[in-house]
Amino acid sequence: MTHTVTYLGFIPLLPLAGALVLGLMYLSTCQGKQISERIYGILGCVGPVLSFLMAAKVFFALMSLPAQERFLTHKAFTWFAVGDLNVSMGFLADPLSSLMLLFVTFVGSLIHIYSIGYMAGDKNFGKFFAYLNLFLGSMLILVLGDGPVVMFVGWEGVGLCSYLLISFYSDDPENVVAGNKAFIVNRIGDLGFVLGMAFLFWGIGADGFDYLSLKANAHHLTAPIGLTVCLLLFVGATGKSAQIPLYVWLPDAMAGPTPVSALIHAATMVTAGVYMVARFSFIYAHVPVAGEVVAWIGILTALLAAIFAMFQSDIKKILAYSTVSQLGYMFAGVGVAAYSAGIFHVFTHAFFKALLFLGAGSVILALHHQQNIWKMGGLQSKLPITYWTMLIGGLALAGCPPFAGFISKDEILYSALATGHVGIWAIGVLVAGMTAYYTFRMIFVVFHGSPRDQEAYDHAHESPKVMTIPLLILAAGSLFAGSANIPAIFGGHQRVSHWLAPSLVEHHPHGGLGLEILAIGASILAFVIGISIAYRKFTVKVDEPDYQGLYNFCYHKFYVDELYHWVIVAPYQFAGKAISRVLEPYVTDAPVQASGWLYRMCGLAFKVVQVGYVRIYAVYMVIGLSILSLLVSRSLNF
Amino acid sequence: MLTTYLFFGLALLAVLGALGLIIFKHPMNGAMSFVVTLISLAGLYALLSAKLIFAIQLIVYAGAIMSLIVFIIMFLNIQEKDLPLDPNRWFYVAGGIIVVGPIAGLLINISRTLPATEVTVFDDGFGSVKEVGQLLFTQWLLPFEIVSILLLVALVGAVVLAGKRGVN
Amino acid sequence: MVTHYLSLSVILFCLGILGVVSRRNVFIVFMSIELMLNAANLGFVALSRLHVNMDGHVLALMVMAVAAAEAALALAVIILLHKHKGNLDTNIFSLLKG
Repeated sequence: MTHTVTYLGFIPLLPLAGALVLGLMYLSTCQGKQISERIYGILGCVGPVLSFLMAAKVFFALMSLPAQERFLTHKAFTWFAVGDLNVSMGFLADPLSSLMLLFVTFVGSLIHIYSIGYMAGDKNFGKFFAYLNLFLGSMLILVLGDGPVVMFVGWEGVGLCSYLLISFYSDDPENVVAGNKAFIVNRIGDLGFVLGMAFLFWGIGADGFDYLSLKANAHHLTAPIGLTVCLLLFVGATGKSAQIPLYVWLPDAMAGPTPVSALIHAATMVTAGVYMVARFSFIYAHVPVAGEVVAWIGILTALLAAIFAMFQSDIKKILAYSTVSQLGYMFAGVGVAAYSAGIFHVFTHAFFKALLFLGAGSVILALHHQQNIWKMGGLQSKLPITYWTMLIGGLALAGCPPFAGFISKDEILYSALATGHVGIWAIGVLVAGMTAYYTFRMIFVVFHGSPRDQEAYDHAHESPKVMTIPLLILAAGSLFAGSANIPAIFGGHQRVSHWLAPSLVEHHPHGGLGLEILAIGASILAFVIGISIAYRKFTVKVDEPDYQGLYNFCYHKFYVDELYHWVIVAPYQFAGKAISRVLEPYVTDAPVQASGWLYRMCGLAFKVVQVGYVRIYAVYMVIGLSILSLLVSRSLNF
Repeated sequence: MLTTYLFFGLALLAVLGALGLIIFKHPMNGAMSFVVTLISLAGLYALLSAKLIFAIQLIVYAGAIMSLIVFIIMFLNIQEKDLPLDPNRWFYVAGGIIVVGPIAGLLINISRTLPATEVTVFDDGFGSVKEVGQLLFTQWLLPFEIVSILLLVALVGAVVLAGKRGVN
Repeated sequence: MVTHYLSLSVILFCLGILGVVSRRNVFIVFMSIELMLNAANLGFVALSRLHVNMDGHVLALMVMAVAAAEAALALAVIILLHKHKGNLDTNIFSLLKG
């Protein structure tokens, strides 16, 4: 049972229109007098805020419907139809996409507002907002699309914006390289996505290629094709959501402006992979093997990224690896078929990770673009609002009860335990402890102790209201977002899980009270151990340690980047050079050159005819007529 | 029979005039020779009962256009030494006859398949000013107007082209 | 016989072609083109007589008008040519030479 509502199409259209207007304004003025930042800021925020209001309207419209009828659709136009493949630019708002919609537009709007303060004085202020609006529009297409193809449009759109915004400070070649890296690594994943879509269409696409039709036909999918589809789609997810082996781009992506890191590389875009797996839960639920793969890759990514995060010195890189780690949790959640738990972690993570990034941005701005935590310290008194909000965000990330992160993370770990994945659960608990450790390592080093760089400390000051207010709102979100899904053991009703139920195919495991207490207890214990180690090591004044041996190995991120360079990039470069020096000039170019030579010779031969005298051309014409006359005379028997 | 004799006489004159046009070296001689052809053609039009065309051929072609050409030839004051040398003119003429031969053969053969109508002069309204004028201003009005615009354009073009000053 | 008129028309037309092809004097070339137009006119009028239909006369009139326009422009071009090059040779236009 679906309902058609037209305003669904306007939700992505508003930011896209904003991007167009801002982009044209920027292009028309980038040579001469600049338009004031106030106008850009207001125009840039109008689209996202209106989208948020409409998203809220969609949410309440869904709430007013009975649970099994919560499907709003809008088909804007038929995009293309080839044989059985009939793709329309359609939008679908169901409980899953409406939840994503709500927090994407909410966090997106806040970050737009925050950016007015953060980007103030930048010479490309207008361009930044144009890109940011374009990103939000693409993200909303991704979330709202009613089928894999429309989702892919948004998927590529956010990839493009990610690339544009990572290399936003394009004066520095390193940032451009980081942007390229993100783009190229994502291409590998996208190939998987496209192949997965093709297999899916081959399997069950003939009767309509949108989620609702696919869901209805999912049981026709044979096991081998189902497995192929799931794994290929997951390859796409590993690219976009930075999982092993394609996670390497995300830490480098921190080269972009901090609001971008908060919006794209923490809260929204990188969670697209999780959303996609949850979206296709009707396939994954039939292929448990694929789920195992997803869960194990997820939890191993979580572990690896957490190890890296413990040794980083760049505040944004710490958060970046923490994002990779949390994404690993989400995949572990959806992998063990606890889709609602995974999505709920996406939801809460958006709040506290955006908060942490924006707080980090506030610190960075206060210290004039200093990102090394070993140059900070004692900033607690100088940046009180930033400190307190980041503390809340840190507690949420570290999984302190009753903050948002605790409830969502615990839900995932409990699901793993209840479905019998003890190994995943054990690693998850270990990672939870490490998360608490590296989060508070960062907070203690930055805000506690005494200043390490006295001059920077003296010049530091709290950020303007336009930046602190979004921080406060997100802090409130980090505090209370968890309350939406309080498990039954604390007297809650798991409202989010029930809300998402119509969109997902999942069975809630019932492990019993004992397992639940075990899971919660282990999580809290891990948190306490992690935070106490960090407290003991970093509240006193310490300088950056000199890493030796195994620590050095970790500090250099297991040399994975170098490994990729020598195993993949270098052979490619070698092959490219070989081709360009041997194959191309002597093998492939030879026929090309020969054909060019042939034409040149023909031209030389025919050049003789072109004498340049008009009457000779008349002679040619008459000769032609003459030959024609002869032929006609013969055929008429004259 | 008179018309037949007249036809052959006029046809001979026309061909001779045309040959003169091709052969004479000086353009003035060629033009004079061409006038003979045009006047003979006017006579042939009269034999074909085309009274209006006969008159216009004499007035416009043999009169106006040819006098314009002659006027320009004289205006440019062309001397023998200005004339381009045509060293291999006869080679071109011979080659041209070989090439043009099949075309002429084909067309003449086709014309021989037409019904053999004896050409007698109509003395009714056929080809008179009134009849042709009525046709021109009713059925052919649009082409007529287009031709008038063409003439206007040609007039403007001629003024622009010939009236250019300041180029050596 | 109308056939004779048409044959004469063809002969005059071919003589016009010969004039265009064999001569380099721009006046002769121009008048040869006029000769071809007249040959065509003769064909129109002769066929008009054959079918006892005056449409051919009207067409001949049109051709004359176009010939008049052409004469005006062609003579203007000849004057320009003479002004620029001091010459009446068509062979000095050879920009198209390959």
